[in-house]
Amino acid sequence: MNENRNGDDEGPSTPNGTTLVSYLLGGLAFWGGVGWVVDWALGLSALFLPIGLVVGLVGGIYLIYAQHVRS
Amino acid sequence: MGADVSVVAASEEGCHIFNDFGCGFEAPGVSLFFPTPWLEFGLPGTSGLNKYYLVAVVAVLVAAAFWYFTTRKAKVVPGRGQSMAELLVGFLRDQVTRTAIGKEGDRYLPLMVTLFIFIFSMNVMGLIPGLQLPVTSNLAFPAVLAIIIFLLWNYVGIRRHGFGGHFKARLIPGGVPAWILPIVVPIEALSNFIIRPATHMIRLFATMFAGHLLLALFAAAGFYMFNPTSPMGPLFGAISVGYSGLALVGFLLFTAFELFIMAVQAYVFVLLSSIYIGEALEGAH
Repeated sequence: MNENRNGDDEGPSTPNGTTLVSYLLGGLAFWGGVGWVVDWALGLSALFLPIGLVVGLVGGIYLIYAQHVRS
Repeated sequence: MGADVSVVAASEEGCHIFNDFGCGFEAPGVSLFFPTPWLEFGLPGTSGLNKYYLVAVVAVLVAAAFWYFTTRKAKVVPGRGQSMAELLVGFLRDQVTRTAIGKEGDRYLPLMVTLFIFIFSMNVMGLIPGLQLPVTSNLAFPAVLAIIIFLLWNYVGIRRHGFGGHFKARLIPGGVPAWILPIVVPIEALSNFIIRPATHMIRLFATMFAGHLLLALFAAAGFYMFNPTSPMGPLFGAISVGYSGLALVGFLLFTAFELFIMAVQAYVFVLLSSIYIGEALEGAH
């Protein structure tokens, strides 16, 4: 992202906010979904779902960090 | 109790507060957004020809009329209408395309100005007496616009960076060690190709939907609470008029606020479109 797009003071509807939220949602949805499918396939009630949610959340936060904080 | 009779009586005269029919307030529901079609073709998944089509056509005419009347006698020294149009174009150029895309963004300025005016006029239809239905409160309209932007985003990126380059830039984040890639690439894919276009359309749709529902609620509440001839006595009649006045004040305040939201949402939609296109042009970051 460019420097001039950093509207940090405008809440979640700013472009930056949109990207960040979509990373967090994407992480939770994808890895949480994978965990849920694994649970369902193995007949477990909830073991991989929480693991997947945590992995997804960490992945999303890492993406935000790698692309928007570090650089 | 004779409940059946009283319900019928209430619905015939309109239900008001402090009545002795035993009827209550019925809040406006989502049926507001499913107007009865005038013409149905029986095609699966279609709504038939309903009020949305009429209002959308009016919105197109309004947008076209705006440009016709502001630019038909364009002069070097602009008149009032022309200055308004120039102000709008200048604002979108400086605040949207140049900020998000840069100098190159001037190529996309006509698209963004058209989108802005079209979306704004569709939104404003929610406040025009007689129409009172924001076209964008039906998900189909923002969805088509967001899909157009999504396709353009892919087209622009592929043309600039090639097929592989565009998808590599959108799927593989830069500066990430290889062992993390299996975790983050699916997140990038889901985020860029599904969640972002989806939120792009839902943001506009949901704000217009909720805003319209809120206005309808204030209007219905004002009507419901107005009962000066209450059978429970003049005191309750006076109280009901006071309540109704409050609802009216709320309605007027929120109408003004809605107008602001309508402009902001049109602006946000255009801004996000520009940012996506700028990002596709920029490639990997």
